Amino acid sequence: MVDVAAITAAVRDGYVPAHVYNDAGVFALEAERLFARSWTFVAHESEIPNNGDFVKRRVLADSFLVTRDEIGAVRVLLNMCVHRGMQVCRAEAGTTSLFRCPYHGWTYRSDGRLVGLPFRAEAYGVDDGFAHGDEGLLPAPSVAIHNGLVFVSLDPAAPPFEDWLGDFAYYLDFYTRQSPAGVEVRGPQRWRVRANWKIGAENFTGDSYHTPHTHASVVDIGLFGEPKAHKRKEGVLYHVGPGGGTTYKLPPGLGLAGGLRYVGYPDEMIERMAATWTPGQQALIGESGFIFSAATLFPNLSFVHNWPRIDAAGTVAPFISLRVWQPVGPDETEVLSWFAVARDAPEDFKARSYRAYLLCFGSSGMFEQDDVENWVSITAAAGGRMARRLLLDSRMGLDGQGRPIKATHAGFAGPGTAYQGFGEHNQRHWLRQWCDAIERDPPEVAPSARGGAWPGR
Amino acid sequence: MSTPRSPLPYASEGHQRAHQFLVEEAHLLDTGEMEAWLGLLTDDIRYVMPVQVTRSRGAGATGPAMDHLDEDLHALRLRVQRLATGHAWTEEPPSRTRHFVTNVRTFPGPAAHELVVESAVLLWRSRGDDRPPELVSAGRDDLLRDDGYGGLRLARRLVRVDEAVLRTQNLAILL
Repeated sequence: MVDVAAITAAVRDGYVPAHVYNDAGVFALEAERLFARSWTFVAHESEIPNNGDFVKRRVLADSFLVTRDEIGAVRVLLNMCVHRGMQVCRAEAGTTSLFRCPYHGWTYRSDGRLVGLPFRAEAYGVDDGFAHGDEGLLPAPSVAIHNGLVFVSLDPAAPPFEDWLGDFAYYLDFYTRQSPAGVEVRGPQRWRVRANWKIGAENFTGDSYHTPHTHASVVDIGLFGEPKAHKRKEGVLYHVGPGGGTTYKLPPGLGLAGGLRYVGYPDEMIERMAATWTPGQQALIGESGFIFSAATLFPNLSFVHNWPRIDAAGTVAPFISLRVWQPVGPDETEVLSWFAVARDAPEDFKARSYRAYLLCFGSSGMFEQDDVENWVSITAAAGGRMARRLLLDSRMGLDGQGRPIKATHAGFAGPGTAYQGFGEHNQRHWLRQWCDAIERDPPEVAPSARGGAWPGR
Repeated sequence: MSTPRSPLPYASEGHQRAHQFLVEEAHLLDTGEMEAWLGLLTDDIRYVMPVQVTRSRGAGATGPAMDHLDEDLHALRLRVQRLATGHAWTEEPPSRTRHFVTNVRTFPGPAAHELVVESAVLLWRSRGDDRPPELVSAGRDDLLRDDGYGGLRLARRLVRVDEAVLRTQNLAILL
C-alpha cells in the first residue's frame, strides 16, 4: 500500500523518497491517476502527411492508431476491435484505407467507423441485430493539436488543452514553430532503458547542473563547447504552466539575428523566425540574450536544442529533438526520440542538423549515452529496501528555511518564474504537478456504448 | 527483390580474406582496440544503421527514414576519442562485449579490388555485476576494398538491426 500523503508531503518539501523511482505501487498510481488523465503527446502531424497515413502509438499499455482519415482529419483511435478485442493493426506505420481485424474480419475505415463485417445478415440479422453505421473503434476521449503536435487525454473531462498549456506555448514555438510552415519530424528512434520514466523528464526540465560533469567527454573531444560549468551556470531556468526548461546565455550584444547565427541558423531561416515569433518571443534571444536548450512539458514530453560542431572544419549546426519517456514498468522506459526541423529549411541545413542530432542525442547520441547510464544506475538503487529510508535532496536553490537563495531574474523576457544559475526549481515544479496528479482520485469514466461508439464527423 | 546471386566458394581466396577481416575486426572491437579499428576504415567510410519500422508486407514507407547511426570517418573518430576520455560514463567501467560473426557470404564487388560481404552479428554486452546482459542482433552488408598493400579496408557498412525497439541502453558499442 502506497502512503501517498507521506510521499507527496516529503516531495513538496523538496525531499524525494528514493523508492518512487522504482516501486510497483507508485507506478500503478501513476498509471491510474496521472496517465489516465494527463495530456500526453502521441505523434506529430508530419508523420501522417497524406490521407490514409497512420502511426501506432501507446499511452502506457493502451495502443492507439493516429490516422489521417479520407477527408484529412487527424483521428486517434483505440487499436482494439470492438468485437473480440484484437488489435486491428500490428504495423507501426503505413498507409491504408481500411483496418481489417485479423480475427473475424471486421473492417474499419481510417476514421474508425465500422464498415464491414463478414456474414452480417447470417450473424446478426439484416435489419435490427446490428446498428450498422454508428459503431466503430473507440476514439481517444480527448484530442488536441498544437503546432502539429498531437496530444491525447484518456479523460473525457480533460481541461481544454490550450488552457492547460498556458504560457508554456511561448516556449513551445521555439522548438516547433520556427516558420509558419511548422516543423517536420524524422523517426522516432525507439529503445528501451532500465530506468524509471520520471528521471529523464526531470533531467530535461531543469538539470543544467549535471551538464558540466556528466557531459565532460563531449567537451574534451570538441563536439560541443557550451557544457562547461561557467557557461551552464549563466543560463536561466524557467518554469510556467505545465512546462519548464533551460537556456544558455549568449555572448553579449548579438541581438536576435546574431544569436541565431551564433548557434548555426542560416539567414533565410532567421528571417522566417523573426516574421513568425512575436516581439515578446524574439526578445528572449534578442534582448535578454538567452537561447533555448532542454525542456519538458509535463508529464513525459521533452525537447532539446543544441548546436554542436559537426565536422573537422568546426561547422556549428543546431538541431531539435522531441522525445517521449514512455513508461513500460517501474524500472523500464521506452524512449521515443524524433529529429525535428523547420519544414521549409534549406535541404543542406536539414542535412547538417540531422547529422548534429545523430552525433549528440538519440539511441547513439554521445550526450544521451551518459545520461542513460546514470538513470539506469539510479533506478537499480531505488529498488532496494534502504531506498525506502532515503530522502533525496532536491532543494538546490533554496536556503535552510526553504526560501530561494536569490531573486528571480528580472531581465528575462519569457513568461513564468525564472532563475539564473544552478537550482532545482524546475524539477520541483515538475514534481509538484506529479504530486497533484497522484493525489487525485482516478477519473470516473463511463463504459462505452455497446460495440464502441463511432462519434460521427 | 534483387536477383539471387551466388556467393564466392568458401574455399576461394576472396571469401577467406573477407571472413578473416570480419573476425579480426570483431577481435579489435571486443578488446577495445578502437584506434586500430579506425585503421581498418577507408577515408570515405560510410557507416549507416537505419531504424527498423514494423510495416505490413508490401506497404511503402511514409516520410523520410530515420537512422540510429549515419557516420563518416570524422564522426566515428569522435566516438572513439570520447570512449578514451575516461569519463564517457556509459563505458566507464567498460562493458564486456562479444561480437559473434557468422553467416558470412562474399560476392564480387562493383570494382575489381572490392568485395561485397554479408554477415550476421550478435552482440553480447554485459555491464557491471547487477544487470542482465543486452543482446543486439543484426545483419551487415559491407563493402571491403583492397588497400593495395595486401590488406582490406571497410568502405561501407549497412547495419540491418533485427529489432524495431532496441533492448540496449545505447549504441556506444558499434556493430
